[in-house]
Amino acid sequence: MSPEAASLPEGILAHHFASLERQNEAMRLGMWLFLATEILLFAGLFTGYSVYRFEFPLAFAECSRHLSLTAGTVNTIVLITSSFTVALSIHFARTDQRRAAVVCLALTILLALGFLGIKAIEYTAHFREHALPGKYYAFEEVKIPGAAMFYTLYFMMTGLHGLHVVAGMSVLTWLLWRTNQGRYSSRYYTGLELGGLYWHLVDLVWIFLYPLLYLI
Amino acid sequence: MGESGSSGGANVALHPDDRHEEHAHSAIPYVVVWIALLVFTALTYLTGKQHLGTWALFIALAIACLKSALVALIFMHLKDSSGMTRLVFGTSLVFVGILLFFTVADVATRFRPATPAGAPFGTERSRPEGLLEHEMPE
Repeated sequence: MSPEAASLPEGILAHHFASLERQNEAMRLGMWLFLATEILLFAGLFTGYSVYRFEFPLAFAECSRHLSLTAGTVNTIVLITSSFTVALSIHFARTDQRRAAVVCLALTILLALGFLGIKAIEYTAHFREHALPGKYYAFEEVKIPGAAMFYTLYFMMTGLHGLHVVAGMSVLTWLLWRTNQGRYSSRYYTGLELGGLYWHLVDLVWIFLYPLLYLI
Repeated sequence: MGESGSSGGANVALHPDDRHEEHAHSAIPYVVVWIALLVFTALTYLTGKQHLGTWALFIALAIACLKSALVALIFMHLKDSSGMTRLVFGTSLVFVGILLFFTVADVATRFRPATPAGAPFGTERSRPEGLLEHEMPE
């Protein structure tokens, strides 16, 4: 066991790893493999979107104009900023500034809540207008073929993304608690780093959803 | 095992093995990327509102790819990651490319004899949804 590992708090280095460096590398690789499956999961939906947008270009453009561009843009800024604050929290943890790391994680969670709040307002409006997926579609303002398909994909994509936001928030809340306990420092911060990776993926997906749904 | 991404620039590119020794890790690249992402979002918004026709989609996707690259390389530290992690990410992108390219190429190149009655995608763009060809109102 390296002297570095010997000075670590109890339970961080698993006994089957020769060094902390090896363990960190294995953790990162595992996380990226998981993120790759997430990317492919969303890719399926993006492919479905491409096919239907190709088939119904007019309906997609028309429906897109009935979404709130302001809400979509504000949510993009909110998510980008939350990605920034989570990156900062990892930076502060690895430079032993625990309080700053905790504050940044708390900000990230607040921004995530803000994102969900804005999304909820948008969803409420869609439900009121009956701009709903599939056979529940009864939106008065767009009555051309393909409109229901746009809203089906819209709800599937933003819904799955929203679930990821909720999952990310839960992970970040747990990490906030552990960071506050002082578990992450310059000696070890990989756990926090992996949580951050997940949150950045949520941001990555939204970066593509924003122009494809709101700006046709 | 890994090699450092020595792509230069103002950022502190660190060898993965040095991660625990360094104390001068800087937050400046994160601030720069954040501002760049906000600028690109503004650019997406402004170009998107113009409805530039054929080019709109390409411009929007190009900006989105650029934004993702910034997030992946700097925020997600792919720039400083080992070759193995980069390979995993790169492989997932290749498969996304295959999935999208062949599916869209299929739909985009269909013609009348290749789309029998009742096929979900035909050459008639304005067919009411959910109706098969023989159910179409005259």
